Amino acid sequence: MQRRELETAAANYTYLRGLLYIPLGGLFVLAALGNWKVGPLRHNWVFLLVALALAAVAAAVNRYYNEVYGRLTPSTAQQVRAGIGLVLAVALMLGGATLLRSQASWSLDLPVNPIPVCFAVVMLVSYAIGVGLRAHHVIIWGALLVAGALPVWNGPDPSNIGLLLCGAAVIVCGVFDHRLFVHTFGPPRAIDYENGDVAAR
Amino acid sequence: MSQLAEELVLDRLIHEPGRLAILTVLSSVTDADFVFLLRATGLTKGNLSSHLSRLEDAGLVAIEKRFVRKKPNTNVALTAEGRRRIAAHWEQLERLKRLGK
Repeated sequence: MQRRELETAAANYTYLRGLLYIPLGGLFVLAALGNWKVGPLRHNWVFLLVALALAAVAAAVNRYYNEVYGRLTPSTAQQVRAGIGLVLAVALMLGGATLLRSQASWSLDLPVNPIPVCFAVVMLVSYAIGVGLRAHHVIIWGALLVAGALPVWNGPDPSNIGLLLCGAAVIVCGVFDHRLFVHTFGPPRAIDYENGDVAAR
Repeated sequence: MSQLAEELVLDRLIHEPGRLAILTVLSSVTDADFVFLLRATGLTKGNLSSHLSRLEDAGLVAIEKRFVRKKPNTNVALTAEGRRRIAAHWEQLERLKRLGK
């Protein structure tokens, strides 16, 4: 019996529910297309409607995981770590983007794409702390980091392309995370849920 | 039994692999439900149910039976005693491992 495997089951459960990342990635893509005002997305209400649809998909996916793989409440320490991580991630996204490329006086004004660079760093650090980096994390977020850091992003603000790249990376990472999740916790139909859980009788 | 041997005695209730797995998983969360424990430990429903009953009788876990979306849901959490005993058990196993080297 591997103690570490058992103790990290909760962290794996929280981080590797990859299907949740698909609507999240969709939100990045939607933001980019909305900024470009592509097709019906030139209307704000269409943007809001699609965002709500993505939120509904995320809620349905969350329910699927809860019913098929169970529910848990992370420990207080994990919740505090997640909260601090979120605050740092937002600070890094805002500060990093301004530092790399903006009109602020302290900006380095480099021809890089700050959104994918900062987002890739946030995701790499987040996975490294949460569940440990796996090969697909390094490849996907490493590729996003390199793509954003290449000094080829001259011209107008490349933020929208950055958002598209982030969205694609989130979706691909989600698919691989879900595969790993199923490998860790078993296929969906491995347990008979027909009569609810035995202990509840 | 010598003093050293007494000090190295393992908690038989906890040392059973299924119960050790359940308590170890629960030690890393605030609480978890029956389905998550099934998935995380790889035990069968019957085994998990009987182990949980024994652990509840010993006061190591607290079991709450409830309904979520009209479906029965069993939520399990370690008690303070359970948290103390599983930590002490793993410490004891580490001690034995060090002695064996």
